[in-house]
Amino acid sequence: MTQTETTGRRRFTKRRRYRRVMWGFVFGGVAIGLALRSLGYPFIGEAVYWIGAIGFLAVWRGTSLTLFDERDKALEQRAATTTLALSAPIFVVGASAARILTWTDIYTVPTVVWGALYGYVALFATFGVVVTWLRYRR
Amino acid sequence: MNNVLPEYREHRDLSQGALAEGVDVTRQTINAIERERYDPSLELAFTLADFFDCAIEDLFTPKR
Repeated sequence: MTQTETTGRRRFTKRRRYRRVMWGFVFGGVAIGLALRSLGYPFIGEAVYWIGAIGFLAVWRGTSLTLFDERDKALEQRAATTTLALSAPIFVVGASAARILTWTDIYTVPTVVWGALYGYVALFATFGVVVTWLRYRR
Repeated sequence: MNNVLPEYREHRDLSQGALAEGVDVTRQTINAIERERYDPSLELAFTLADFFDCAIEDLFTPKR
């Protein structure tokens, strides 16, 4: 094994370990936070949740290693586009159905559903603002 | 995009991890490029060409 390869493998192992630690902070923080809340320790649970979030950011921003590269970004962009493409028809059909059911008094749409629909509105409005900003920023 | 990255890499006796380290991406990205499941950005294509001291078109050719 050449020295370049050994160094590369060492950094690769380190990168993998950093990524695991980073995601460990998030999932550990959420899981332990939830467990503590359900056990009746809401404030400690919330503190653990924040330790997880800050730990994630500390590992991500604190290392000189490339933890996410251009392919990760490309995958995120595709995932975001696919998520929006799946969300749009649900929102269009769901909003229309909720309005029609309300007008015709066939069914009283629960408040939580209206909340979810307004959440969709906020999501798509944010998307529109960001797209416009990206288009005209130069 | 077709590419001959595996041939260039093996000619230099490099692992995917070592090449990834050399061009500052993850090993998975090199693997995806070699399997032609991911087309690199122009910037990464230039970096790879610099790394192997060749032209971009020596490494990558468009699928026709």
